[in-house]
This record gives sequence, structure tokens and C-alpha cells, in this order.
Amino acid sequence: MSNDFAQFQDAFFEEAAEHLGTVEEGLLQLERHPDDMELLNRIFRAVHSIKGNSGMFGFATISQFTHKMESVLDRLRNRQMAVSGPVMETLLKATDLLKTLIEAAKSNAPTDESVVGLLSQQLDTCQTTPSASPAAAQLGPMKTDQRGRRTSFLISWVPPRNLFRRGLDPVQTMRELERIGTLAKVKLDSSRLPDITSLDPEECYLAWVFDLVTTKDQDAVEAVFEFVREEGNLRIMEVPIEEDPAGPAERPSHPNGDARSESGRKPLGEILLESGAISPPALSQALAQQKKLGEILVAQKAVTPQQITQALEKQEAQAKKLDSTSIRVETGKIDKLINLVGELVITQSMLSDLGARFELRHLPLLLERMAQLERNTREIQERVMGIRMLPIGTAFSRFPRLVRDLAAKSGKKIQLVLSGEETEVDKTVIESIGDPLTHLIRNSADHGLEPPAERLKSNKSEQGTIRLNACHAGGNICITVEDDGRGLNRDKILAKAVAQGLITEHDKLSDDQIWALIFKPGFSTAEKVTDVSGRGVGMDVVKRNIEGLGGTVCVRTAPGKGTVFTLKLPLTLAIIDGMSVRIGKETYIVPLLSILESIQPGADAIKTVVGKGELVNVRGTYLPMTRLYEVFATEPEHTDPNEAILLILEAEGERVAVMVDEILGQQQVVIKSMEQNFRKVEGIAGATILGDGTVGFILDVRGLLDIARRAELMAA
Amino acid sequence: MGKTVLIVDDSATMRQMVAFTLSSAGYDVIEAGDGKEAVDKISAGSKPDLVVTDLNMPEMDGIALIKELRRMPSLRFIPILMLTTESSEEKKKEGKAAGATGWIVKPFNPDVMLKTVAKVLPA
Repeated sequence: MSNDFAQFQDAFFEEAAEHLGTVEEGLLQLERHPDDMELLNRIFRAVHSIKGNSGMFGFATISQFTHKMESVLDRLRNRQMAVSGPVMETLLKATDLLKTLIEAAKSNAPTDESVVGLLSQQLDTCQTTPSASPAAAQLGPMKTDQRGRRTSFLISWVPPRNLFRRGLDPVQTMRELERIGTLAKVKLDSSRLPDITSLDPEECYLAWVFDLVTTKDQDAVEAVFEFVREEGNLRIMEVPIEEDPAGPAERPSHPNGDARSESGRKPLGEILLESGAISPPALSQALAQQKKLGEILVAQKAVTPQQITQALEKQEAQAKKLDSTSIRVETGKIDKLINLVGELVITQSMLSDLGARFELRHLPLLLERMAQLERNTREIQERVMGIRMLPIGTAFSRFPRLVRDLAAKSGKKIQLVLSGEETEVDKTVIESIGDPLTHLIRNSADHGLEPPAERLKSNKSEQGTIRLNACHAGGNICITVEDDGRGLNRDKILAKAVAQGLITEHDKLSDDQIWALIFKPGFSTAEKVTDVSGRGVGMDVVKRNIEGLGGTVCVRTAPGKGTVFTLKLPLTLAIIDGMSVRIGKETYIVPLLSILESIQPGADAIKTVVGKGELVNVRGTYLPMTRLYEVFATEPEHTDPNEAILLILEAEGERVAVMVDEILGQQQVVIKSMEQNFRKVEGIAGATILGDGTVGFILDVRGLLDIARRAELMAA
Repeated sequence: MGKTVLIVDDSATMRQMVAFTLSSAGYDVIEAGDGKEAVDKISAGSKPDLVVTDLNMPEMDGIALIKELRRMPSLRFIPILMLTTESSEEKKKEGKAAGATGWIVKPFNPDVMLKTVAKVLPA
């Protein structure tokens, strides 16, 4: 049974991840707005969906566990207990576990039953804690009436005259009734049929009396008549099944239904009362329920400021609701693209036309059309890239929770302000930006922001603020993580760097150079290692990750005012700016970002040092030198470094000089994966198709560094 | 031969969601961005078995569209559902007077939508 649905499993996991996000985000908001019913409902629905779906796929543990969560949420929703710290803590923990369970289900991994049991128990106990909310009223109208018994309903229905003209069909209605129960008896009332001469075939003159036996309640029956009940005269009478249904059925339906007079109708309740279908208390109860909408509206009119903020937040949340499971593309974008492709086709036919009867005097025309082709191509490229762009908010969504946890652990008061979530960036970038950002935010929360007491002492508000912002800057996306904490401590960083031997006491460093030290591996100035950070891993990892994405990271700081980390990332990973270089007859591409400079070494700049291999002296610093033609075993034009050109490349803060024959120029290249099409080749990050149709290899600078290091070892 | 549903809504997202819901249930779907486009598509030969229309739209709104469709002999008796954000009696009455078969309240639940469609569209 569950195997039939196996094909939908991926969709389930994607959807579950989305629901988990909703739950987590919702719970965090709920702490601030414990009275937000809509929020609670949303969380409930998300948990409920996971429960329902996991059941479909046979993930019993998940569905049982979510059931427990659901009942806690249900009690909150019904005001049977209040939103309190411990309950929220348990629910958040449960959400974490749920995440783990879903991950486990995804990878078919076993789950730790004891943990599940423990949290299930916690969920149970937090429910039995007596309610702290005095307003244990029935704010959330929950239907608890699970009717199992069969009832007979006697339904008298005079359809509206314009039934057919509204596209309705009485037979459909009967089918619907059959769907929720059994039609024991259908009686046609044709008493309204006029004389054949005055009969309008488009009008409905017929009426029916149904005897429906069902286990559903009256609401379900009424729902069948949802579209026809107001103007038609509908009477539903519940008849206990034991009773002889013939009795009430005998009662004739009114020969001339009230449907005749559209305007001067009696209220439905009155008619029902008259016919004895309902008792006065039942009617007033129903009417009281009906009033609820009005009550809500009244409440909304008398808005409190809190409600306004809630409403605004809700609106914003909806506007920012992001979908990461699939890429939704505006039709406009596609239409533009199709337009452009059309233009491309025209340009192509113009070119082939020109080619067919080309004479030299046509050269200016050819150049013009080539320029047009270039314009078309570039524009199409940009538009296609645009399709893969997603708002970066999907990567930001996990941070409110992170900051909350960090604040709770460190005893600091921290507010996280997100902005620019709608900034669009390539999906692959979004997927890989999460970890570096997590490190930076942890760092800000732990090192940057001061404890409340210290903040008060330095005339700051008790609550520290971390701002996370994203924006476009040229062809890059710029992400800043900003805190209003104590700022970087120059002296401490210097002392630490000296202690670790990264610099000597005599080095004269500019501020920027000092700040850059924090990105060195193993660097940490935190006085105590906390649970959160300070173990000296982090910042170097951040830098490496960002550089791996072809980006840069820099830091600005002001003592006592705060620190800003700025990440600059390319909008896409599929295309890079490269420098094409030639070695012998082959062309290679070097990522532009990693090139520091290119030099022609002097005659005495190259030294071979025992244990270090070949080194080149660049203004007093010796850098390892790699002969690329040796690495790639090709035939070079020059084997003498003095005739060749050296490119100084940098990765992970280390530099290497590589030897090439000639620099050809700068160009954008599309990266094609080597692993996917061939296999991993050391020193090569990928391949691309060059202008002349040949394949050019893109150098992997980090890999070249490894090769250089190994060469040192070999030489040793 | 599947039933064809014409979806009329000026919000592309809403159209896509309705279209997705219905096409995954096996209905053929035609889309139109407003009442005028819907009328144009029908004039151009589209023959929907059901129309699902938003009410607030530029060019020609839902009520006007329903009235227009009911004037066409071929569409006189087909079910027309209106998509409405408010479930006010006023709107429903207005819709019914114009000839709407029923309504689906936005945001809609896919199950409810399919049930409602099944309710008005003979199998």
C-alpha cells in the first residue's frame, strides 16, 4: 500500500522540511505573541500535515510522535493550557527531534527509540500540567463530536428557480448525498409545475424530499446544499433511527415554497421552528455560533497596537513566504526569454544569409550583426541565470532560532534583525552559504556582544543587536553580519598572533592587516572556550568556505561600537571571471579572483633551495614556484622562467607562483564539471569550451598549492 | 477524455496553484488572466466544462464575466465557481444573481477545491 506512494516520498520530505520550518518559525513567534490564534493554527496545521503524510508512507514513529506534538498544540489552541516557557522549550526540542526523525527516515537510518520515548513522555507530562490560563474558554471552536451512530435525516429541498441557469444539477446534489450516506427514500414534489404553455424549460419547478441515512452530522448534510440553501427552501430534520421514518415523511412539503418570494422571505430559523424541526434552544445556540464572525470583525475594528504589529508581521511573513522546493518562474520572465530566443533566431538567419553571399565590402555589416549576436547571447544568459535565482531569505530562516538558543545559553539579550531577504541569488550559493553565516552569527553573539551588565555600563541598551543584511552590489551579492558589541580588540589580537607565532612583535601592521589575522587557522582570542565558540575553529573555515564559493570576506570594526563582517559572493557558481593563459599550444583558465599579480622574474630571482624546491623572489618574499607544463605534462614554449610569465596566485592565505607562456586575456567562462563527465583531476577545477571550440581547463588554485607543497616534500 | 476547466485569475500564483490542483486530479486546464482574456479564449474556440474565476480582476471582473458567459448559449448551463477571499453573504448573493454555481474561499485547501469541483461537475 505504502509502496504505491513511494514515488511521492521526495515530495513528502521536501514538504515536511517546509512544514518543519513553519513550525519552528511559528513557535519562536508564538513566544512573543502567545495569543496569536492564527499562528497557533498554522503551527498545528503544519504538524498535522506531517503526521498525516508520514502515516501515508508508513513512518509510524514520525506519525506517532507528531500526534503527541499535535495534542499539545491542540490544548494550547483550545486554551486548555497556556503558552509557557517550559511548554515552548519542550515543543522546540520536539521539533528538533522531529527533524532528526525525518532525516533518519529519508536516509533509512535507525532512530534512537529511547530519545523518542523520552520526549514523547515530556510532551505528555507538559500536557497534564494544569492550565495556567484562566480564560479556558472555547476560543477555538473544535468539533469533538465524532459521531459514530447512524441517523436518519429528513430533508425537504425546494431548489432555487434559477438552479439550471447557475449551472447546477439536482442529480449532482443527490449523488453528493449518496456519498455521505444512503438515500433511503427520494420523493419528487412536482406540485409547482405550471401549465405546459407557461412552462419555462430553463426554470426549476421541481422539489424533493429525501430520507438520508448517514453516520455524518447535520453540518455535513448542510454542506451538500452549500450552494443552494439560501434561496431554496431547505429543511433538515434529524430523526432517530429507531423511530419510524414513515411518520415525518408523510408531512407534505409546502406546496408553494418560499422560494417564490425572493425578497420577503421568512428567516430560515423561524421556518424550522414552525415546522418543529429544531427546538428554540438549538436555534439560539446555532445563532450564537453564527455571530462569531461578527464578533471577530468587531474585535478587529477595535484594534490594539499589539494587534496591528501582529497583523503587520503576519503580512510581512506572508509576503516573504519562500518556496525552495521548486523554482517558480514568472510567466513574464519566460515570455521575455522566448522573445529573446526569437531575436537570436532572426540574428542567426541574418548571419547565414550574409554568409551565403559574403563579399568583403559587407564586412561592416558582418561586424554589426556579430555585435547583435553578442548582445542577444548576453541577454539570454542573464535571463536564464535569473531563472535560477532565489531569494536569500531561505538561507536566513534558520537564524532566528539559532540566535534565540545562543541568547538563552549565554544569558545575553540578543535581537536579530533580518533585512534584504528578498535579494535574489543562485540556488547553489544559497545552499552553501548557511554554514559560514552560522559561524559569523555565533561569533557575533559570543565574542561580539557583551553581557547585559557590561552593556549597561558602557551606556548601551541591555539588548544587543545583530543585523543580517543582503543586497546586490554589481555582479555580486553582498551579505553583512553586523553587531553593536564591543568591537575587535586590537591589542588582544596582536598579542595572540605574536604568541602563536603568526607575526613577530616587530611587525608593523595596518589595522586591516590586524583584523585579517582573525581569519588565520587556529586563531581565537576568547578568554574562555564556551559551548558556542572560541575553540579557534570557525573564522578560518568561514574564509575558506567563502573563497571556495569564489567570494571574499572582510571585516570592519570600531572599538565599543561593533563589528561588521562583509561577505561578497558571485551571484552564480556556474560562470566565473577567468584569465586565459597559454602553455605551449594549450589554453588554461585561471580564476580571476585568485590572481594577485603577474610578473616576469629577473635573472637571479629563481632559487632552488634544498627541501623547498624552486622558489621565486618576489620583492623580498620567497614563494614556491610551480612549472605548470610539468604538472600537466605538456610541451611548453619556454622552460626558462626568465622568458616565461609567473602568475602569483593566492588561496587560503597562501601564495604560489605558477609559470605560463603567455597571458591571453580576461573572459567569462562557463564551468563544466570534470567529475561528472570524466573524473577528478588534481589541479583542475573544471573545463570550459573556448571561443575556438577547443576545451580549456580551469585551474584549481588550492590543488596547485597542494602540488607545490608536495614538491617541497619531494625535494626534501 | 478529461474535463476541461478554465481558470480565470489575475494572480499567476493563484492560477498556477488552482491549475496544479486540478491538473493533478486529471482535469485539463486552460488559464486566463482576466475576464476579457477568458471571453477571448472562449470566442477563439475553447470549450470549458467548468469555469473557476476570481472576482477582483482588471479589465473584466468575475461578476461581469459570469454574466457574459451566461449569455453564451454553449455556456448557459455549465458550472461556474467563483474564487473569493471573503465569504460574505453579499458577494455570494451577487454571484448567485449573476449565475454563479458556487464558490471556493481563498486561501483554498486542495481537497476542498477538488471536492467542490466534483460536486458541481458531473463525472
